[in-house]
Amino acid sequence: MFKYLPLILLLLLGVWLLQPPVDERQGAEGATSRAEQARFVIKFAPGWAYLPDTHPYGIGKPLQGLKQVIRAFEERFPDTRIEVLTVPGVREYLVTQLSGGQAPDILNVNVENVWMDVQKGWYVPLDPFLEKPNRFVVEQGDPARPGYEQWWDMFRYQAISRGKAAPDGYNYCLTFDMVETGIYYNRTLFDELGLVVPQDWDEFIGVMEKIRAHQPADGSSVIPLLANIGAFSDWTTDLFFDQLYYDLLPGIDLFKDPTREPYLEGYLDWDELAFLRQKGFFGGSDLRYRQLWEHMRQLKRYTNDNLMMDDLIREFVTQRGAMIWTTSGLSYRLQGDHELDFDWGVFYLPPFTRKTSAYASGLPMCVIGGAATQLEISNSAIGDTDPSLPMAQRMARSERLQRVIDFLQFICLPEQNERIVNEYSGFLPNIVGVDALPILQPFEQILARRYTTTKWIFSFDLRFSEIQQRMLELYLTDGIDLDGFLHWQEQNLDAAVANLLQRKRPDMARLEQQWQRLAPVRATMQDLPVEPDGAL
Amino acid sequence: MKTGQKKVWWIHAVLILFSLLTLLPFAFMVNNVFRSNAEFYHAFFSFPGAFKQVATITGRALVGDDTPVLMADEEGDLVPVSKGDALGRSLDQATRGPRLAWKVIRPYMLNTLIVTLLTVTGVLLLGSATAYILSRYRFTGHRALFLFIISTMMFPGVLTLVPSFLLVKWLGLLNTYWAMVLPYIAGGQVFAIFVFRSYFEGLPEDLFESARIDGAGHVQIYWQIVLPLSLPVLSVVAVMNILGTWNNFLWPFITNTEGSHHVISSGLFVLATTAHASNFSTLYAAYAISSIPLLVLFIYATRPFIRGVTSGAFKA
Amino acid sequence: MSVRLQSSWSCYGIVLPSLLLLTGFVYVPVLWAFVSSLYAFEIGAASRFVGLANFREYLSVDPTVLPSMANMLVLTLLAVIMRLTFPLVVARLIYALPQERWRYIYRIIFLVPIVVPGVAVQLIWAGMIYSDFGMLNELLRGLGLSHWAHGWLSDPDTALAAVALVGFPFVGGFEVLIYYAGFSAIPDSVNEAAALDACTGLQKFFRIDIPMVLSQLKLILILTLIGGIQGFENVFILTRGGPGFETTVPGLWMYFNAFSFQRMGYACAIGVLLFVIIFGLTLLNMKYFKSSEELQGVR
Repeated sequence: MFKYLPLILLLLLGVWLLQPPVDERQGAEGATSRAEQARFVIKFAPGWAYLPDTHPYGIGKPLQGLKQVIRAFEERFPDTRIEVLTVPGVREYLVTQLSGGQAPDILNVNVENVWMDVQKGWYVPLDPFLEKPNRFVVEQGDPARPGYEQWWDMFRYQAISRGKAAPDGYNYCLTFDMVETGIYYNRTLFDELGLVVPQDWDEFIGVMEKIRAHQPADGSSVIPLLANIGAFSDWTTDLFFDQLYYDLLPGIDLFKDPTREPYLEGYLDWDELAFLRQKGFFGGSDLRYRQLWEHMRQLKRYTNDNLMMDDLIREFVTQRGAMIWTTSGLSYRLQGDHELDFDWGVFYLPPFTRKTSAYASGLPMCVIGGAATQLEISNSAIGDTDPSLPMAQRMARSERLQRVIDFLQFICLPEQNERIVNEYSGFLPNIVGVDALPILQPFEQILARRYTTTKWIFSFDLRFSEIQQRMLELYLTDGIDLDGFLHWQEQNLDAAVANLLQRKRPDMARLEQQWQRLAPVRATMQDLPVEPDGAL
Repeated sequence: MKTGQKKVWWIHAVLILFSLLTLLPFAFMVNNVFRSNAEFYHAFFSFPGAFKQVATITGRALVGDDTPVLMADEEGDLVPVSKGDALGRSLDQATRGPRLAWKVIRPYMLNTLIVTLLTVTGVLLLGSATAYILSRYRFTGHRALFLFIISTMMFPGVLTLVPSFLLVKWLGLLNTYWAMVLPYIAGGQVFAIFVFRSYFEGLPEDLFESARIDGAGHVQIYWQIVLPLSLPVLSVVAVMNILGTWNNFLWPFITNTEGSHHVISSGLFVLATTAHASNFSTLYAAYAISSIPLLVLFIYATRPFIRGVTSGAFKA
Repeated sequence: MSVRLQSSWSCYGIVLPSLLLLTGFVYVPVLWAFVSSLYAFEIGAASRFVGLANFREYLSVDPTVLPSMANMLVLTLLAVIMRLTFPLVVARLIYALPQERWRYIYRIIFLVPIVVPGVAVQLIWAGMIYSDFGMLNELLRGLGLSHWAHGWLSDPDTALAAVALVGFPFVGGFEVLIYYAGFSAIPDSVNEAAALDACTGLQKFFRIDIPMVLSQLKLILILTLIGGIQGFENVFILTRGGPGFETTVPGLWMYFNAFSFQRMGYACAIGVLLFVIIFGLTLLNMKYFKSSEELQGVR
């Protein structure tokens, strides 16, 4: 029997440990009774950055901002309770929950994952609300405050926010905050090697060359630039595209969306990209397109070998990498890292010059910005209406949706937004009147730049992005040459274009008319790709 | 088995080498429980700083060294702290991960135990009953039935996620234990039937003959003869089933839309996908704590498991 | 083994609960998936009957068919070889130890890794061993072979091998225990006979020990095959199938199609094909590999 004694003791210990602690028990009872009284229990999944009582990256005090804002809202609306949840971002979860109407009412999902699903009525379009006043600003009574006439006016970075519309032209996501990329560099190392922040692309390459040539005796070589495949496939594509194609815009920007054009000048959206593809752009015969990828291949020479690593911070922090291209969240982590033994700074990519490429516009690199927290309203918010009705009717009838909108309007108020976003110093607020924290100053300056010409991975479907990313990885690691890669890219693009045409049925005839009208403008441009049937 | 002394040393050497390689992930996991996030980023594998602090402080105390201990405060400046305070803070820092982890996964642990218990009971009962019938009785369609059952092992799991979810939702079982237990029993019994059947086929017929002559029905034969004899095999099936149930995470996640009945695996999945937010020490502590019940299980179940495997149940 | 013809009803009665559960929670969803493979279907939207078009497309036009099937074959084969050899050797070594205490300790040691979640293992290998300054590259640099150091998971030449070798030396897990059990079941009579015939060491290992644990080997073979053909989580975490299609496997492509590319029907078609392969292999396995008992003529 004695050999089982330790087992018995363990079991007893286990049973004791499994008792819920006293405060939790009381808390749970309180919560359930409050929840039972509430008419609307809204489930909110804000993403990992603002979860109350967590420490992002283990730094600092537990977050309280969102909790306080929620409490203020619940005091104002006693019939509502807001529950904060964590949900995984994996596609299986999203698809099963949304198809079953079980998702949280407010979700934080990247837009490119949303657009494929909007046609199924899984998300609620926000435009009808965004074009009306924000009720809380109206209550405050000052007509000069943004939001008095239109909720849209409250957002600071209009281009980026508007740029997140879905292919059907509607906005499904509320861009609550901003995140931006930048190149963090090891200032101590730069000083040691006599390097300065580069002002143009060739200088940038020169800096990286010098870092790579630096081989200290103890064998601790340094990687010039740390970047992963996402940085290449997403950010670099857009940045280089903008540098090389900007001068062509007068001849190829065919469609100007009246509501969005004031904010997104010269933006090429999905229909235009599809049309241009049919005219021979973005293929092996498009010289600018070729150059885009050649320059990317050159950049890859200076980065880490393993592109799939998500977590390159370690290399930067241990000084095995001189620069790292990543998002503003790193500032927060570097600030909280007491064992850091070097100085760091941030700069943005320098532009191409005519020396780098004959097609370069010479303009500074644009901003490709993204919202960090992209809040969508799922079909659960209209769960109190009949699913067989069309979306517009459901939206009009749903009381639950109204309360959800109230909450979203509430957190867009400057004083509320500041409490949430500025508590975690990794993201920047997207509300007029709320400044970012001082440590994020460099990013605020970057965000003031001109918005990009297009966002490639927003343009089509996930299949396009998935195949592009893996073919790009193959090309960058010398698995195939440029022609091989471009062959894949053409096929990939053609498939994506076919999918777009089939689902959305855009008006290509109108684009064709505009195309013909702009022919004289294009005649002045050099090296345009040849149209498949021979005409230009 | 007689083996020369030298040979034994060689065997130990090889086994130790393999053990080191095999235990590396486990050691890494346990080591990280006590490190802070910053330490994690400065080195993939280093001795926890908090332990070093505790060692230095106690060492100094023993030697009577009075130099003040410097600890980093909120802003990162080093300020002198009394030894007692420093000790307390170091220990606090070292155990912060496990304490937070336990707070988070305690309810999950309870749920996991309940679900596992229900599942294993179901699998053992249903599996052995069905296997008993299939192995000892020839009736119309018994071969087809067996094939029917075994074929389920060959379906790719990913595809059935959506229809199973919709089915469970339709049955109104979301956010209950049954949403997990019933599908687990449905799937787990297959392996159990497979193993039990080959074991039962090896049992001598006379046992059953004499029981039948005495007028025993199916239930009696099962209860009084089959079950007691199959204890070793029961433990094999139980152990393998517990392991399978423990690790399956996506399904509990999908069926627990309210988050009320999460099990450890889905809880860990949440922690891991929000790993940027939680300390790594919390995440790894959660992994470590959730392995303790399994380890306890292994220590006590290895011998019966081996007996079960060798009992002739695996004549595939 | 003798069986008796029984009235089918009582038999079916006892078997009924199992059958109900199985049909309800396994067959119904599977049937749904099989039927979906005949439609161009996306979750939440309308579907269109297309018959065998999905299968035709996959087998002829899909760019991943040949690479992913080849990768699956390679990974499964490697997994089978690894899981049939290393644990076998280790089990035999443990069995050869004279003291029971050491045998017990080693058995526990080799079981411990099961409790580590698979995800953690993948992350450790990717982050600690395969990364640019990870253990493998640092080892090569230390040995003066720094020109061999590269991005193991990103390089198209090494990606597949790198994925296959995660978990080296593959001895953590049930296999060791199962083989050990097999060895310990070898009757003493056989051992004594071998000693009398002066059959020892490697000869004994190959001619006697291995045939005696054939049924265990067969079991592990089936399980590894089934797992290898469907499995994709490790590839998903380590390389996401890249670069190019160097590490893509059909299971991964199935997953992407079902949940990311909005092509559930197509994904189900791939699933049906995988099922057919597994089914065929299992039948082959059961038919052509005789177990040790059959060899001894007990049955």
